[in-house]
Amino acid sequence: MELSGPRWKGKNFAQIANSNPMSEIIAQLQVCLSNSESAALPIGTDFLLETVPELTKLLNRTSFGRQLTTSYDSKQYFQLSPEETFYLHHFLKCLKVSIDNAKLIDVNDLWNFMRNRSELFPIYYRAYVHLRSKNWIVKLGTKNGVDYVVYRHHPALVHSEYAVVVDWENDKGEKQSERLRVWSDLHCAVRACNGVAKAVLLLNVMGYEVNFSLPELLERTIVDERQITRWVPSQCRDDCKLEGNKGEHH
Amino acid sequence: MDGEEVSKVEGETRRRRKGKGKERGENPARNRQQNNFLPSSSLSGCQIRTEVSKARWVEEIGMAQVIEKNGSLWATTGVIRNGNLYCHIEEIGYLAQIGALVLLDDGENVMGLKDIFTKCADRRYGCTWEFFEAYRDLKSLGFIVGRHGQPWSLKHDNLKPNSNFTVDTDFIADRIEELQIGAANLIFDIYKPNSKFKKTDPGAPSFIICLVGDWPPIRKEVEYLEEKCKLVPLKFCHVNHGDVRFFSFPEVSLPVLP
Repeated sequence: MELSGPRWKGKNFAQIANSNPMSEIIAQLQVCLSNSESAALPIGTDFLLETVPELTKLLNRTSFGRQLTTSYDSKQYFQLSPEETFYLHHFLKCLKVSIDNAKLIDVNDLWNFMRNRSELFPIYYRAYVHLRSKNWIVKLGTKNGVDYVVYRHHPALVHSEYAVVVDWENDKGEKQSERLRVWSDLHCAVRACNGVAKAVLLLNVMGYEVNFSLPELLERTIVDERQITRWVPSQCRDDCKLEGNKGEHH
Repeated sequence: MDGEEVSKVEGETRRRRKGKGKERGENPARNRQQNNFLPSSSLSGCQIRTEVSKARWVEEIGMAQVIEKNGSLWATTGVIRNGNLYCHIEEIGYLAQIGALVLLDDGENVMGLKDIFTKCADRRYGCTWEFFEAYRDLKSLGFIVGRHGQPWSLKHDNLKPNSNFTVDTDFIADRIEELQIGAANLIFDIYKPNSKFKKTDPGAPSFIICLVGDWPPIRKEVEYLEEKCKLVPLKFCHVNHGDVRFFSFPEVSLPVLP
């Protein structure tokens, strides 16, 4: 399918987005979070962060985490994914994390903590950094049967344009994952996503080795971006004139 | 049943049919199909044709020479070699299936569809069954389909005027290469439907088709094949038991947002 550009959810929403660049809101979040005493704590496979109204507003505006609805007014609670937690801690350098509920952890220990929990964490984090550092909003793609969905600005303003599938290969270009191994995987991804007006974006983390340190991960891998598009010849676009041949077939 | 009951049932049936009459009337072909459990056709338009051409199979070159040319379809089908028109087995298969071509063997015997289809699947003639199915799918939609990298028209000046006419097999058959099983093969140059198409000057194709085997291509393969196609867009075709689907994997560059 060919997307004709972002689908804004309301009449002036494109202007609202233009007047509120995401990079600026993220800068405000960085300041607010750095000044906050609150530290994220592991909870299940995610992280819990206790917040106050100003921080809550900024986390919502930058679409990090999921706010847990409570009946409390003075404090709010956010659930952050491992990628979001690590990105705020390592890349934006503003989130404090505590594992044992006492000491604050540093980036190397947090990296090891994340890796021990999930061997695929480095790959997903690399893809997450790639997308977030371009100021796209990144949310989980479970509903669409993919890894992530990305938005050009806040999800309240615009529909997501891409459904993201993450794949990876070593430095010889040998595919290392079981993603998209058989044809039905491709048919499935494309069908599911085209049905909700999203293009499938395949992010390939190239040059990945299992034992990479954090700096090696960021410096020695490249993220390749390709779209997976199904072409339906019978729905060829209007510049395809088929009238000339109709006479032959009837 | 007595007479009264019969007419009662008939009356009810008439009323039911009347109520559904509009539906039935709208699509009698589909109703017939459903009532007889008929599958939908792999090709629409297989009807009695008035313009039928004739070709003779030439085993040495794995192609047929067109001996009676009828209809405007030849403007975009078949290749010209030294002034003569030849067609590949997939073209023969398609035209024979829609009744536009009769194929003769080296005598005067007409070759039936079974023999023609078997030749399509034979692999000796640069075609496989899946290759043929992809060809048929695109051709029936009006696209102009040629074998990748093979010229539509060629002149050859080496024939000596006084010798017996011999067929220069290499020249005509353009080195039929056997398709590698399971691998990705560039197979077709596709031109969008165009009434001004000229075999002597076709121009660059609109896109190239790569037939892929059992496994989707990996990034490295996609890049390699794209390089071979230079700037012509590449589409990947997968044929699965008659179901022909196309994908492309264009590189994109997600913009850095403000």
